[in-house]
Parts: sequence; C-alpha cells; structure tokens
Amino acid sequence: MNSVAVSSITAPWTDDAKVLADVGLIAREQLAPAAKRIDEGYYPLDIMANLGQAGAYAGHLDQHGCRFGLAISAMSEVSRHCGATGFMTWAHDVCGLYMEQSGNPALLTRLQDHTAGLTFGGTGLSNPMKALTGIEKMALTAKKVPGGYSVSGTLPWVSHIAPGQYCGAIAAVNRDDGSRSHEIMFLLDLDERVPLRACPEFSGMEGTSTWAVPLKDYFVSEDQMIADPARPFIQRIRGAFVLLQVGIAAGVIQGSIDSIREAEPTLGHVNQYLHNRPDELQAEFDELAARAMVLAETPFDGSKDFFLDVLDVRCQGAELSLKASQSALLHQGAKGYLMNSAPQRRIREAHFVAIVTPAIKHLRWEMAKLMREEVPA
Amino acid sequence: MSHDVQEWRQYLCRACGLIYDEEKGDPDSGLAPGTRFEDIPDDWECPLCGVTKTDFELFEKPVVVAVEQTAHFSAEPGIVVVGAGLAGWAAVEAIRQLDQSVPVTLISACSADLYHKPELSVAISRGLDKAALIQETGVDAARRLGVQLMAETFVVGISPSLHQLRTTRGSLTYTKLILAQGAKPALPAQLPPELCWRVNDLACWSGMQQALAKGPQSIAIVGAGMIGCEIAEDLVRAGHRVTLLDRNASPLAGLLPEPASQRLRDSFAALGITYIGNDDITGVTQLDNQQKQIRFGSGNTLEVDQVLAATGLMTDNRLARIAGLDFDRGISVAADTLQTSQADIYALGDCINIEGTACRFIEPIKHQAKAIAHGVLNLEASAYQHSAPVVRLKTRSLPVVMNGLPLAGVDWTLIHEDADELVMEQRFDNQVIAHLKVGASTQTRAA
Ligand SMILES: Cc1cc2nc3c(=O)[nH]c(=O)nc-3n(C[C@H](O)[C@H](O)[C@H](O)COP(=O)(O)OP(=O)(O)OC[C@H]3O[C@@H](n4cnc5c(N)ncnc54)[C@H](O)[C@@H]3O)c2cc1C
Repeated sequence: MNSVAVSSITAPWTDDAKVLADVGLIAREQLAPAAKRIDEGYYPLDIMANLGQAGAYAGHLDQHGCRFGLAISAMSEVSRHCGATGFMTWAHDVCGLYMEQSGNPALLTRLQDHTAGLTFGGTGLSNPMKALTGIEKMALTAKKVPGGYSVSGTLPWVSHIAPGQYCGAIAAVNRDDGSRSHEIMFLLDLDERVPLRACPEFSGMEGTSTWAVPLKDYFVSEDQMIADPARPFIQRIRGAFVLLQVGIAAGVIQGSIDSIREAEPTLGHVNQYLHNRPDELQAEFDELAARAMVLAETPFDGSKDFFLDVLDVRCQGAELSLKASQSALLHQGAKGYLMNSAPQRRIREAHFVAIVTPAIKHLRWEMAKLMREEVPA
Repeated sequence: MSHDVQEWRQYLCRACGLIYDEEKGDPDSGLAPGTRFEDIPDDWECPLCGVTKTDFELFEKPVVVAVEQTAHFSAEPGIVVVGAGLAGWAAVEAIRQLDQSVPVTLISACSADLYHKPELSVAISRGLDKAALIQETGVDAARRLGVQLMAETFVVGISPSLHQLRTTRGSLTYTKLILAQGAKPALPAQLPPELCWRVNDLACWSGMQQALAKGPQSIAIVGAGMIGCEIAEDLVRAGHRVTLLDRNASPLAGLLPEPASQRLRDSFAALGITYIGNDDITGVTQLDNQQKQIRFGSGNTLEVDQVLAATGLMTDNRLARIAGLDFDRGISVAADTLQTSQADIYALGDCINIEGTACRFIEPIKHQAKAIAHGVLNLEASAYQHSAPVVRLKTRSLPVVMNGLPLAGVDWTLIHEDADELVMEQRFDNQVIAHLKVGASTQTRAA
C-alpha cells in the first residue's frame, strides 16, 4: 500500500524538497483516489500515518528547524488533493505545536510519535478562540483539585479525534464566587472517561472524524498541562495557529486552478468568456502565497501589525478559495457538477475554509477590532 | 444697487478653511445677513480662527452635477479613495468636477460624515456637540457626489501588482487609488490610550465632549503644541479647570521664539490655565475614585478628572509598508503630482510627506486634490505647488499668526514690541523666511 520509499521515522526530514516531493506523491497516489470516500465519511488514518512518516507534520516545530513555510507547503500539497485531509493536517500540526510550546516534559515525550504520525490528535480550540476574543462563551469550566484540575462542559465539534487520541482544549477556571480567575490549556486524552457524541451530518468533509466531547468532572493531571494560565500562551501562538491554516486554503485554490487548466484544451474556446480565468487566479494566488511565506519566517512575532497581516492572508485565502472553486466548477461545466468530481467537492471544501474558526466574518471582525484606536470608555 | 443683482459670494479663510457666506453674514460678530465681503470692516476677524479679511479669498463653489445612483458596469474597477476626512472628500469633489461618471468608491474607517476638523478645538466653549458639527452626513454626500461609500470599513491590505485592496468588508480592485488616511495621534507609552482622550477625529472628540458635558471638571492637557494650546483655551472658557503640561518651559516652544512663547504663557495664566513646564510624565493610572493620577519625573503627582493627550501626530505606516510605498514619517509623494512611489497610487492630506516634511493643514488640501484629480483622470497636468500656509493659532485671547516656515536654530529679530503686540521675523540669506505676529485681538480689546 505504501508506495513511497519514505525515510525511517527517526529521519530528521531536513531536506525541504524531499519532504514536499514525498508528501506530494502520497497525496496524488493515495489521497486523490480516496478523496470522495473521505468526503463521505472515511477517516484516513492510514494515509495520514504515511504523510507523517514523510515529514508532513514536522516542519513548523522548533525541533525540526521552525520551518513554517515547509509545513504550510506540505499542508497545501495534501489539501490540493483532499481538503478534508488538509484540514486534519492543520489540526494535527497545531496539536504538535501546543505540545512542543508547552515545554511540559511529559508532552514533549509524546511529541515524537505525534510528529511521525504514529499517534494522532487535533485541536478543540474553536470555541475558546472565539471566547477569548469575546465572540462567544467558554464551553468548559475547570476547578482546582489536588494534583490538577477537574473539568466539565461540552466541547462542540472537535475534528481529527477518536477514542485513544487526544486534542488541545481550554477551560475557564472560576473563583468560588463564580467570577473568572483565568483559563487553563491542556491536552485532553480521549480515554474511557470521555464518551464521544456524534455530530449531525455535514454537507461534506465527513471523514474528518468530528465529534462533540462531553466532559463530566474530567481530571486533568500536571502531565497533560499545556499552559496555566492559558492566555499568554495563546497570545504567543495565535499568529502561528492562524497562519498555518493558510495551507488548507492554498491547496483548495491550487487544486481549483489545476481543474480549470485541465478543461482548457477542450473547453478553452468557450471558457474564455468566463471571468476569474486561471492566469488571473494564479497571479493572485502567487502573490498571496509569497506574502504568507514572508510571514512564515517570523511566526512568533507578537506585534499587532504581524497578527493583522496574518489575519489578512488567512481572510484573503478564504475569499480566493471561494472564488477559485466556483470558477473551477464553471470552467469544467457539467463534468464538474458530477457527484464524484473534484470541483464540486472543492466548492464544499472552500466553504469550509470560509466558515471554520476563524471564519471570514470572525477575521474581519477581529481585524476591525485591531485597527480601531482604543479610547477612554 | 448693484448688490441686488450680484450673486451672493463666498469667501474662504486660508488659515482654517471657514467659509464666509455673504448671504448668511456672521450675526455673532455683528455682520447682518447680506453683508458684502467688501463692506466688512477691516478689523473683523474670522469667527473660527481670528485672522482678518486679508487672509480670505474668493471661494468658487464647484458646481457638481449629481449623477444618478445606478450601478455602473464597467470593465474598469474605477477610482478608490481611502479616508473620508477633509482630504478624501476633497479628492472626490475634485474628481467629480472633472468627470461625473467615472466610478468612485470611498472607503473610510469612520462614519464618513463631513465636518470641519479645525472647529474641534473651539467647539466645547461654543456649546456644540457632534450633531451640530456634522455639516452633511456621509450617506448624503455620497449620494450627492455619486460615489459608492463603504463607511466604518478599514483597509487592511493593498497589493499594487494586482491593483487590489483588502478591507474589513471584503476586497475590491482599483484602477487608481488615492490614499487620504490622515495621521494618528502619537501616544507615548506613558499615556495609556484607555485613559487619555485625543482630539483628532470627531468620534473621539465627541467622547470627550460628552464626558465634559457632565459638569465643570479638572482636565490635564498633555502637550502644549498648537492643538493643546487651542483646546486649553476652549476648555477653560467652557468653565473647566485646565492644567497644561509640557516638557518645555513655556507653550509652543518648538514653534515660537522665547518672548512670544512667554506672552502666550502669561495670557494663559490670565485666563486661569495652570501651566506646568519642564517636567516629564512618567505614567498615568486610574484611581479608585475614577480620577486619573499623573506622575512626573520630578516625583510630583497630579490628580484630574480627565486627561487629554495632544502629543502630536504620526502617519500609520501599515498600508504603505504592505503596498511597498516609500515612506519617511509619511507617505512620500512627488511634489508636483502627489503620486507615490507605486504607479496608480496617489496620496494627500495629513498622511503625506513632501520632500521630507509633512504639512498638516487645511489650505494645501484642495490644491493637492485638484492635482490628483487631473492625474487619476489622465488629464493635462495641473501641477501642485507647495507653499507653507499661514498658521493661525485659534487662541482668541492672544492671536498668534505665523507666515512662512520658521527654521529651528535661526535667530529671531524683534520688529516691534509694545504691551499689546509683538512682531518678530526670522531671516535667512537676507530673506524673511518667517514673520510672526503675537497680539491682543480686536475682539478681546472690544470686549
Ligand atoms: C483640533 C484640530 C484643529 C485644527 N485646526 C486647524 C486649523 O485651524 N487650520 C488648519 O489648517 N488645520 C487645522 N488642523 C489640521 C487639519 O484639520 C487637518 O490637516 C485635516 O483635517 C486633515 O485631513 P485628512 O483628511 O488628511 O485627515 P483625517 O481627517 O485624519 O482623515 C483621515 C480619514 O482616513 C480614514 N482612515 C484612516 N485609516 C484608514 C484605514 N486603514 N482604512 C480606511 N480608512 C482609514 C479615517 O477614518 C478618516 O476618515 C486641525 C487639526 C485638529 C485635530
């Protein structure tokens, strides 16, 4: 099954070109044929393991040279052939980021297997990310107990998780009088204490293994702690968190442009009347990608301007995904409308890029908030 | 009798942009409606800034034909203007004078309502509020001028190679782009934004005005530059207890020679303004009783109800950086065309820098707008010629009028001095480069 001669898992994946070539090959040969199945519900852990061994989840980690550009490009290669797996690659990448940046020895011990795709974990930060900027309320609450915290509440919709896997999570710690003291961030192990609850059916990307996670007095030990308090940690990684998502969008955009070009030889004479032609889309995409690569050089820059730049590329990535995927369907015509065609699947993938946290509306809301001058109340 | 047949004319104050309309007169200073400009006495003063008749010029109101609000379909995306302050609207007006149909989109972080910014430094003592200052809503002006308005919208990114602009309400493309983003208050780290008011736009001024409307209060104004000085007088006249703070020994020390600065200080003292100079602020904190405590390098402290920072302006370099525009404390533009270092992008108003200096005054804006309008419409050039505008401090108790551009380090010569008036000049290479007149105004003398 594994058609790629991947280096052994201890390999440091030092050669960017080799990592990208290996990841690209797995994406083309294994993911592309499975994309429809994954879209309908197949959770491709087997292929994801191969991607891990090829180095797809390593680039952005300090241990592997903090090559965010490589991580984004690898994610883009994956997403170009399957947006759902591109999204899970992102989730897996940021989970690794949490483990590494936590500095917690217990989590660092687990990081190697995670990076190599031997174990899997995602991120349950959609709700807290919105909660921390004031869009919605925090779903989980924690109480201090001897040796750790006790956490209760339900996290809605966490992807890339399954029994035996794990995900990053944040809970609000309240004082006795009910007021908020601070937040903690921890690695939530989905063991026998956690019943995963099925989500309603989505219109696509069903193979992302997305569940609701109800917790009742779940004990979080020191070994699981990512950050206590969580806010300074989130502040430090949020640029990197959002920037990595550009990889999902990049793949959807490039995949759409590929589909448009495929149709050119036979349909070019009529397609010339469409707007958003491939060269235009490619020019906008190249400019966007170039900006993202510059930002990838300094992923932990804590300045407001940097974060604005990151939100700007992420937002433009979502907008261009929508535009490119729609154009791809129009360029392919009826062929693109077939149930098993890539363009119609990408329409749904692109909309996912546009609505997943931070969605276009959140990104614009946050940018407006950052641009506004603070004045006395 | 010729007055009956002649149309009413309007005259523009070159110092502050106020328009004297013969039809309306200026009843507050005794000019009945219908008073012709030539019949105004020579010692009459601009009701906003106090310059005399000689600093007014005939204002020919552009006749702009409203175009119908139908959506344009055009392969050309059109002209996009960023910023709806006086500069942004001036650019739109100038374009519409020359071309009534080219698609124009105006994007602005603020509500885009039209107001005359210089009025902000005299409005509180006149009992004005935000509604009274708005001359036309942004929506009405956009309809009148046939432009698409995107108000409360921030531009966050520009890609010149794609002619693309990204905003907090989506992205759009432009054929020509005009930046009129203004300047922002430069707040030193010791002055936390959540505790210090600034007066550089109507919304923030309005916040301060509402806070002060609750009753007489103590207020510290940090920075005794032009705006700090003007507002100090405005607020003391409105019945507040004003302390003016500066690291220099006397107000406006950066612009004025010592004797002039001293006169201003004396005049402020007579008005009841406390001036504290020669002391640096090290921090501001909020006390439990909601008062703000200011701490000084000297170890002194001061508790006040409100703090206003008037510590100068700076241009935000974000858009210039992203678009790769030359920037040197302002968006660098060519002195004659106001084009930036990128093709198809122009800039005017407070955000620009011509040959290394910013010029944040009203007077140049309309000339800049005219040059840009010709440029973006590819019409025969109408070159902009920069000259230093008359600077008139809107301190009614002691008018200060500066002509020309004083240079730091060049000596001032005393021309005339008596109890009411001080006249000085700066000469360089045997030429007068700056002329300064500090003197009791006729208004105060009459009062
Ligand atoms: C209190 C006071 C008194 C003054 N008195 C005088 C005087 O007597 N005489 C005189 O000549 N001059 C005076 N001035 C200066 C004069 O008012 C200014 O030079 C002039 O108003 C500048 O206009 P502007 O349009 O360039 O800038 P602004 O009025 O600052 O307009 C900038 C516009 O850009 C928008 N904007 C900024 N960033 C963005 C973004 N990223 N996206 C979208 N929109 C954005 C803002 O919302 C705003 O609409 C005074 C200034 C002040 C503050």
